[in-house]
Amino acid sequence: MALLSEKCKWIPQVQIKSQKYATACPSIDIYNYHPYSGGGRIILALLLETGRIEPSEELREIVYKCTECGSCAVSCKFLNTLEPLEIIMKLREKLVELGGGPMPKQQEYIEAANKVNNPYNEPHEKRLAWLPKDIRLDPDAKVLYFVGCTSSYRRQEMAIAAARILKAAGIPFNILQDEEFCCGSPILRTGDVKTFKKFLNKNLDVIESKGIDTVIFSCAGCYDTFKVDYPLYREYTFRVLHTVEFFDELLDTGKLKLIKEIPITVTYHDPCHLGRNAERYKDWDGDIVNLMPLVSINIPPKPKRTGSNGIYEPPRNILKKIPGLKFVEMERIKEYAYCCGAGAGVKSAFPEFALQTAKIRIEEAEDTGADTLVSACPFCSTNLQDGIEESGANLKYYDISELILMSLGLEPEKLKEITKEVV
Amino acid sequence: MVLEKEILKKFQDIVGSKNVNDGEVITNAYSYNWCMEYVNYMEDKEPIPFSPIPKAVILPSSTEEVQEVVKLCNKYRIQFKAQSTGLGPWNQPSTENSIILDLRRMNKIIKIDDKNLYAVVEPYVSGAQLQVEAMKYDLTVHMPGAGPQVSPLASATSMNGPGFTSPHTGHSARNVLGVEWVLPNGEVLKLGSAGLKNHSDWYNGDGPGPSLRGIMRGWAGAKSGIGVFTKVAVKLFPYPCSTEFKLQGYSPNYNFDIPDFMRLYVMDCGSYKYLKKVILRIEEEEISFMCSHLSGYGLTAIFSHSVESMMDKMPIASLKTPLVVLIAARTKYEFNYKQKVMEILLDELNLKNIIGTKYTPNSIFYAEALRSNLGLHGFIVTGGFQSAKGQCDTVKTCLRTTKKSIPLKKKYIKKGVIGNDFGEGVWMTSYESGHYFHVESITLFDQTDEESVKGMGEFMEDNYQFDLVKHLGAPFFVEGDRMHNMFGPYMMNYHKWLRKIKKAFDPNEIADSGFYISAKSEN
Ligand SMILES: Cc1cc2nc3c(=O)[nH]c(=O)nc-3n(C[C@H](O)[C@H](O)[C@H](O)COP(=O)(O)OP(=O)(O)OC[C@H]3O[C@@H](n4cnc5c(N)ncnc54)[C@H](O)[C@@H]3O)c2cc1C
Repeated sequence: MALLSEKCKWIPQVQIKSQKYATACPSIDIYNYHPYSGGGRIILALLLETGRIEPSEELREIVYKCTECGSCAVSCKFLNTLEPLEIIMKLREKLVELGGGPMPKQQEYIEAANKVNNPYNEPHEKRLAWLPKDIRLDPDAKVLYFVGCTSSYRRQEMAIAAARILKAAGIPFNILQDEEFCCGSPILRTGDVKTFKKFLNKNLDVIESKGIDTVIFSCAGCYDTFKVDYPLYREYTFRVLHTVEFFDELLDTGKLKLIKEIPITVTYHDPCHLGRNAERYKDWDGDIVNLMPLVSINIPPKPKRTGSNGIYEPPRNILKKIPGLKFVEMERIKEYAYCCGAGAGVKSAFPEFALQTAKIRIEEAEDTGADTLVSACPFCSTNLQDGIEESGANLKYYDISELILMSLGLEPEKLKEITKEVV
Repeated sequence: MVLEKEILKKFQDIVGSKNVNDGEVITNAYSYNWCMEYVNYMEDKEPIPFSPIPKAVILPSSTEEVQEVVKLCNKYRIQFKAQSTGLGPWNQPSTENSIILDLRRMNKIIKIDDKNLYAVVEPYVSGAQLQVEAMKYDLTVHMPGAGPQVSPLASATSMNGPGFTSPHTGHSARNVLGVEWVLPNGEVLKLGSAGLKNHSDWYNGDGPGPSLRGIMRGWAGAKSGIGVFTKVAVKLFPYPCSTEFKLQGYSPNYNFDIPDFMRLYVMDCGSYKYLKKVILRIEEEEISFMCSHLSGYGLTAIFSHSVESMMDKMPIASLKTPLVVLIAARTKYEFNYKQKVMEILLDELNLKNIIGTKYTPNSIFYAEALRSNLGLHGFIVTGGFQSAKGQCDTVKTCLRTTKKSIPLKKKYIKKGVIGNDFGEGVWMTSYESGHYFHVESITLFDQTDEESVKGMGEFMEDNYQFDLVKHLGAPFFVEGDRMHNMFGPYMMNYHKWLRKIKKAFDPNEIADSGFYISAKSEN
């Protein structure tokens, strides 16, 4: 075990701009005791591994009160080679193995997913109930829109917006309909790798059988899971893109034209799954060369996942292309963005923790002077909207695809109505 | 050893139930700390990174709560250990009868007085937090080499204080002004002008009568052995250049817009004797923001973000006795003046600046220098380091100890238990225009390798003996009874006086003395 230098509690030191927004980790911010931080969680893993503690209720609570947002890992790896996020994930895996995890609420949604292929326990056959009647799916399309459970059942406005934008751009696309299953992300994050693999295989079997070139996702969680986690267990050949990447390309090539002015001031929240965690592991086939006692180096240098290859510019490019829209940044952005608070099963197991975190982020958004908060993830959407409601903040929330849709020519005030009309 | 239910309840009544934890998991987690393994080994214990497990961890949120907790500790004869950001073995309880006071809920910047150049802070304000707020007034703060993530309060009141920007921002021991101090019996003592009956303020740490600042901390600090510090005023300094701080790109490969008026010099002095002359001469001119000697090897580390990236910096690693000087200015005139002085000095001393010719650092180096982030680069080689020595002395003594200790260090390098820095791995910086210096022997070891841990412990022990016998100065890690009893007889029996202080302030030994001195008399 090398140094645990406390950096994990803060955003990268050189990025700190104020006392108020200097911290990185919702869990330690709220629960205060050291084991709630990235470094503290590494200590927990060491304690468990060396038999100094056993699985217990107390341990489970601490281990699962973490959104696995990975901010600790970004700060740590500014200089070090420790992997706090990976250790946190392994710790959960270990607890599941030992019968000490996940949390009961998480167990419930895993069981639901096993039964009806989504963690919300909604009927599988209603997965496509959101689809507007005028949208045509193309069974031969090379582009697949993977909707995900949250957009299918809870945040249908995102699915509708994505489908309408694809239609507006004239992109033939397909949706798997009843052959689409939970991506497994909420299951994997709890440490239940065995169940996760079942979903991974189900999804990959279907997609690979259909000769798909490109899969696009409006859900950052599904996207991250397909892009980063799936290849660790099973390789595939199709391209995966988040809708912000795909739509940004469509704007660049002129297939989409944003014409309608939207006179709002927007700040953008980087979802962890689309930002720092959406960075693929790179293969490394080098040698560890012992230079002298205690000092070895990797030849060639082993790539570190530092959060630098997340999807940061496409959403910003899109926002900047919307006529009339003023874009302002929060203090904690991109690879060191503060988490919304919903991830890794926290929203279901510890809703209060999720809400408290959202409120911190909402305050940061308000401090920019923006009147609108935008993101690109259905989990962030739900949790941040809950946060806005709870804190009484004077902020509107939109998914970025909704703004694109408005700027394509739909009246902003009609947007929510449209959702109702078609669902 | 858990707390009795009745006592636990009393602590809960003071700070609220969620701010006291005596659970197995939390208390065990607080028994871990960096470098605890070699400290254990030096104390003839198993070389594991764990200390005794605290009976509970308490998170007070105010001075009043700290007072009440300390009073309760007195009542039940429980010892306490205070932590600010809690980094290092000094934060660990030394007995099974200790609780930890984790002060992270005390995190307010109480005041920034930009006219009188000081700030008042609580324990869990980090150096970076205070600095960015001070920057809004074109000011900065001193931070120890431990980095911007540690507490200016802890550094000012309780532990050490050298930093990379010391030529400009001084030493924590000399930067501390008014202090609010919860004594080991629970009473509050305010030092200096903070304690005045009328018009109290924080601008001065001394009052009438003998100064208690020396008693409070001296050179190395009491490491929680003499009470809990709840507020401190520290000096602020002019930010050395424009406070515009622009970074582009992503971690860790940020590009920094280097402020217009900043320039780095790295010169090879060739020998310790010549280094002495050069550093005194440069410091005499009072122009440097940073002025440090590091070994060639250490220097490559502060320019690198991984051990692999050190490999392409061989022109630096091969420097014999390098000196790093960073100058910074707010105006063109000031900058021109400082550059001109350096030009004359290089000419006079017959030295060449290798920056821009043999080597050009990445721009992030300048950002890290301004934000005091360079110290933690020491970890990139073996994952662990600790410093032997740490004395405050003349440049002559600092360099004498550096030179004389090389054969000893080489002995351990040969055994393969510490990293090979050719025995030269030190960091030395100047203070107050060369009035004094400090040097520490940065030593690389691997905390995960038992042989290395033991070797590090033995090297530290040998170093202490060597410093004593050859009179090479008093290291800052002279901590605990054994060490003080070892050093005291060689140094005016200071340990007897220190013990009297402890006895006067804490006769019942309520403040855990593991890294200070106990009240019990020397045997
Ligand atoms: C990698 C590394 C490099 C370092 N380099 C340097 C260096 O270059 N220069 C330097 O000066 N120091 C250095 N140090 C040691 C350093 O002094 C302390 O780590 C730091 O300055 C203190 O701040 P902290 O917040 O970490 O304090 P802590 O680690 O929380 O505390 C340090 C000591 O003070 C005590 N303490 C803390 N707060 C209080 C309080 N409120 N009341 C009473 N006692 C208290 C603690 O019990 C502990 O003994 C280094 C440490 C590390 C780990």
